[in-house]
Amino acid sequence: MTGPVTNNRSPVAALVLGWIVPGAGHAYGGRWGKAVLFFVCITGLLVAGLVLADGSNILPRRLWYAAQVCAGGPAIALTPISQYMATRGPVDWADPLHEMGTLYTAVAGFLNLLVMMDAYTRLAYPHRPGDADEDKEEAA
Amino acid sequence: MWTAIGSFLAHLVSADNPLWLYYPLCLVVGLVYKATKFDTPKKIIRAALHFFASVTAGMFLLGLVLYLVSAFL
Repeated sequence: MTGPVTNNRSPVAALVLGWIVPGAGHAYGGRWGKAVLFFVCITGLLVAGLVLADGSNILPRRLWYAAQVCAGGPAIALTPISQYMATRGPVDWADPLHEMGTLYTAVAGFLNLLVMMDAYTRLAYPHRPGDADEDKEEAA
Repeated sequence: MWTAIGSFLAHLVSADNPLWLYYPLCLVVGLVYKATKFDTPKKIIRAALHFFASVTAGMFLLGLVLYLVSAFL
């Protein structure tokens, strides 16, 4: 992975950027490899969940939306599409595929929350234990 | 009891079981979670596979125990 850039970088900016675009907080900190991994995984999970549920599961009036919206920009961009798809016919919320799709999108939101906190702490506490410390402990 | 275990395993691997969709979800969760903990790709992949295997094995065992309890009570 690419090396971190920690000087004069705001942890709060990393947090906000990470919410707007999944992985952008890590890109801001100079960790481009992880940024790409997080963007692909979280956005992919969100889109896969939307496809599984026929595009009708990211709806603001559902409680699931509280988790889905943690995925930030992509979730908000997909909301109007989902609202449009939900108006095209009755939504079967008990369908196993629909349930799994909703779970995918909610998990994508929670994962982005974790990634945002990681981007924040890596800039706020740059000397936290990492791989290098673990390697030293293993060698000792 | 063996018939019940066989029935449980047959249901687990049947094509119409939406449990198949759980595997990619668990893999992605493991990958993202472990990528926040480790820095090198080798460690991330190894830890993510370990996460996937342990969570899947634990889930199967719990499912089997609950199935057997429900079958014999």
